[in-house]
Amino acid sequence: MEVVQTRVDEVESKFGVKKSRTPAKLDYLQSATGLMLALFMWAHMILVSSILFGKDTMYEVSKLMEGKPFFGESYPILVTFTAILLATIFITHAAIAIRKFPGSFKQYTLYRAHMKRMKHSDTNLWFYQIFTGFVMFFLGSIHLFIIMTNSADIGPYASSDRIVSEWMAPLYLLLLLAVEFHGSIGLYRLSIKWGWFDGKDPKANRKKLKKFKWAITAFFMTLGLLSLAAYIKIGLEHKANYGEKYIPTSEIQGVIK
Amino acid sequence: MKITYTDVLVVGGGLAGLRAATGVKERGHDCILLTLVPPKRSHSAAAQGGMQASLGNSIKGEGDNEDVHFEDTVKGSDWGCDQKVARIFTNTAPKAIRQLAQWGVPWTRVRRGDREVVINAKKVTITEKDEAHGLINARDFGGTKKWRTCYTSDGTGHSMLFAMDNKAHEDKIEVRERMEAMAIIHENGRCYGAVARNLMTGELVAYIAKSTIIATGGYGRIYKVSTNAVICQGMGQAIALETGVATLGNMEAIQFHPTAIVPVGILTTEGCRGDGGLLTDVDGYRFMPDYEPEKKELASRDVVSRRMVEHMRKGKGVKSRYGDHLWLDITILGREHIEKNLREVKEICESFLGIDPAVDPIPVRPTQHYSMGGIRTDYRGESQTMKGLFSCGEAACWDMHGFNRLGGNSVAETVVSGMLVAEYVSDYCESKDSDIDLHISVIESFLNKEKEKLNFLIKPKEKAEDAYELRAKMEDIMMDDVGIFRNGEDLQKAVTELEELLVRSKNIVVKCKTLTANPELFNAYRTQRMLKLALCVALGALQRTESRGAHSREDYPERNDKDFLNRTITTWKNENDTLPTISYEEINIDEMELPPGFRGYGKDMTITNPKSEKRQNEVDKIKEKLEDEGKDRFEIQEALMPFRDMLPDVYQGKNERLYEKFTKDVK
Amino acid sequence: MSNEKGRILKISVLKYNPQVKEDKPKIVTYELEEAPGMTLFIALNEIRQHQDNSLKFDFVCRAGICGSCSMLINGKPGLACRALTSKMDADITLAPLPVFELIGDLSVFTGKWMSGMNDRLETWIHEKEEEEKACSCDTIEETMDPDLSDEIYELDRCIECGCCVAGCGTIVMRENFVGAVGLNKIARYAIDPRDKREDADYYDLIGDEDGIFGCMSLMGCEDVCPKDLPLQSKIAYMRRKMVAMKDK
Repeated sequence: MEVVQTRVDEVESKFGVKKSRTPAKLDYLQSATGLMLALFMWAHMILVSSILFGKDTMYEVSKLMEGKPFFGESYPILVTFTAILLATIFITHAAIAIRKFPGSFKQYTLYRAHMKRMKHSDTNLWFYQIFTGFVMFFLGSIHLFIIMTNSADIGPYASSDRIVSEWMAPLYLLLLLAVEFHGSIGLYRLSIKWGWFDGKDPKANRKKLKKFKWAITAFFMTLGLLSLAAYIKIGLEHKANYGEKYIPTSEIQGVIK
Repeated sequence: MKITYTDVLVVGGGLAGLRAATGVKERGHDCILLTLVPPKRSHSAAAQGGMQASLGNSIKGEGDNEDVHFEDTVKGSDWGCDQKVARIFTNTAPKAIRQLAQWGVPWTRVRRGDREVVINAKKVTITEKDEAHGLINARDFGGTKKWRTCYTSDGTGHSMLFAMDNKAHEDKIEVRERMEAMAIIHENGRCYGAVARNLMTGELVAYIAKSTIIATGGYGRIYKVSTNAVICQGMGQAIALETGVATLGNMEAIQFHPTAIVPVGILTTEGCRGDGGLLTDVDGYRFMPDYEPEKKELASRDVVSRRMVEHMRKGKGVKSRYGDHLWLDITILGREHIEKNLREVKEICESFLGIDPAVDPIPVRPTQHYSMGGIRTDYRGESQTMKGLFSCGEAACWDMHGFNRLGGNSVAETVVSGMLVAEYVSDYCESKDSDIDLHISVIESFLNKEKEKLNFLIKPKEKAEDAYELRAKMEDIMMDDVGIFRNGEDLQKAVTELEELLVRSKNIVVKCKTLTANPELFNAYRTQRMLKLALCVALGALQRTESRGAHSREDYPERNDKDFLNRTITTWKNENDTLPTISYEEINIDEMELPPGFRGYGKDMTITNPKSEKRQNEVDKIKEKLEDEGKDRFEIQEALMPFRDMLPDVYQGKNERLYEKFTKDVK
Repeated sequence: MSNEKGRILKISVLKYNPQVKEDKPKIVTYELEEAPGMTLFIALNEIRQHQDNSLKFDFVCRAGICGSCSMLINGKPGLACRALTSKMDADITLAPLPVFELIGDLSVFTGKWMSGMNDRLETWIHEKEEEEKACSCDTIEETMDPDLSDEIYELDRCIECGCCVAGCGTIVMRENFVGAVGLNKIARYAIDPRDKREDADYYDLIGDEDGIFGCMSLMGCEDVCPKDLPLQSKIAYMRRKMVAMKDK
């Protein structure tokens, strides 16, 4: 008989100590935080894109976020809180997901070689996801920090100034690309991972999901780029008056009356 | 010199080998299993259709029992089988299948209520009983009175093999993969194990064991086109033959399966016809009812194969660049049935023919499929001439198949013989007889001999021969002259030519000189051995001047019970012989439970043996008397041909069925 | 028609014999004329017979049933016996499966890996110990729902060819990952009522990042599986089951 090679620390369950349930929790948490972030990003993008409907709409939306319609007053601290909450989810997600990153140069090259051989789209997508995720560690953190500390400065002019006069445009452009790819790939993978839309024919449904994923990416990317362009346009026009806050049309009209 | 000791050495990791290994291991014996390929890749996996066992759960199997299964098996064998072995087998098959169910085989189950099936090209509704719901189902197969072939879709062999290998993992069987047994170590008529070669490193190892079980499958690859896996080269039989002591039985009994696809020879299961598929010719005409009005497409395999060749000879074959073929039409079964129950067939059609069997007919032709012959053993699976050498499964001529095997009886044989032989081997290992008293120099001499042979193969020679070329010639000779229909002239030619090839094969030179992993090297020594087997087949066929089962002589169309109700026994007396030595082992009619009679196909062309009638009268008399006395079928059977004492204790129980229950006192 | 000349195939093979010390990996290209219905099984055997006697590869059933002949065909894992050359470009590259131990040229030791996986995941029916002995094979077998047995067979169809392993980006990086083949096995036993193991027992086997939580849903397995096993949905099933598991 051959000796069975066993490491005691790997077979805890065999001597009465239960196998750790943490991996299950981490796996769940990674998906849950990812889902929250992805859904938040959809909402965020829609809110941000309100600029496409005019400065007033965007202004209203920003005030909505500060709670004005509910409390009669603006409380930018609400935005700060939201940002802190998101940062927490963001950091949690990043901390858990980093387990999946290639852990060494060797792993990295093995994966790249595998990608090159297989020419398999889902395999490639994962790599883009890892890459964009890595990018977001930095860009996302900067963005979140700025919003946390400048929660009052969200508005048609304030935001545009930040983008143009405060030189955030390149960062936002990169962040936009990263978020949209990471988020939509992530949502697609989540659906596969948990079998949410398996239905009767998981193979066929996966194909549909993937098409849907690309549609979502295209939609939000277009929306994002257009919005960014709109902010840049406003920012450029407003460059001379950098720092001035936007006064909504209704208030101006009120003053005239 | 590397020597490994164990109690039982099993050579071959298919169903039979694995079952034998787990059996001896569970009896507490140490066991090592050598195999060319990972066990789950063995050819057992390719058995699609099913395993025969008389469970009688399906409505179309109702009334089935060991007696009916026994009768089908004996008739199928054309009375060439050992009837006691057939009894042992049919008694144990239901146990084997139930045990496999416990070990995880997902047998297809009976569903209560109405079900549409195709019988004789017509859709018929059958109604399964409520109480059978969820029990193991069975389908129809050729040459059987009842629907008896249990199955898992059309991956029966696969699921059985996986369950069996998983069991072997559970039992911690030591499996040594990519090891080839090169020679049996023996002295004074006693087997002590084998010399094996590691196919990756080339290392030679001597395995010394109290008993050795050869379970290496058939030797179909001596033919050019065969349904067999490429590893079915008969090396188990060959190394037994090369001892000069162990004998091979009925080597000329080769089965041709009616429906292998053209040209590659991959099998489409008999389940296609069992489930209602038809054979048609160039005109789309269903011809089998003309030849065999009663059983039609579901006559015994040997019969259907011959009828197909006959029909093609009448010019009714479909011409193709690969020669004539016929059609297997399963479109009548409907897409749903095909995609569920004949899925493997569908995959094969798609991958190798580019057709959809739910729409197109499948081009088929009879193709070498099974070796009834093999290492001749007694009912315990032990060689009749070499102590300690056992064999089971297709590798053996245990002899439950005689001259033709019924579809579904081969996978059944693998597990049944495996489980039985495991018991007999265990008994042997526990007896004094199995003590090993062998001088180490004997082991050394066997090891050295193999080393020398290998070195000789790579040595340059004056008249260098190419193994691939010799092998191709052998394959052609076997195809052309030792095929479905045989005649004296062709067989004589085959023997002469094969003998020449064998002589030439001594000068084979291997060009790639490495003694490690080297496919050319193993092809070389296997070719030499396959030539010997081919000669056994051809010479056996030449000398058997009758037609029995799958052995069909055009010049001797009668089954000759007077002169040939016997088993062909082949040995290779001397290493330098260029032909095997053939003798015959009588089959005793006086002990038969089912005396020779007409098999029921075509015209009765039997040259009867006077003893047959005498025995038949005896049997009738005993039956009548005991029936009058109110004896049950077991008691009557016992009076005709006692066999229960031959069974290992653990398998002596009676098999229960829905319609046959026994009280606890049975033993 | 039979006189028609076939295409000239250029088959490039990664050749390397690790058993021979001085041998270096190299790409060797063989040319041969295509024949009708030619598969890589036929082509490779022809090459071995006429061009390169030393070329190593594995075929057993040559019918897509045994899973011996999986290799990288133009970079993707697949069964060579079923690969019709007519469906491919004339330039074909072949390489041994990654991850597995290389025996030589196109031959890899999948058997050893799979055997290890079977031992590790205990891929057999676990009966309750007291029942095991009491079982008699003479009595009528236990019933099983016909649909359930079909469902088990569906997962039991795995041939352990190793394609899913070679197609898995996770295993490529982390060799201790069980792979789709292993997870599918656990799913197979988890739905089989004959196996008396409970969820917690399966968790012990696959409840970590070498198991179910290591899977990154890259779906290479699903897309290369020659048997079209429902790997995607069964891995998802096991993941849900393992996460939802409540300790008693």
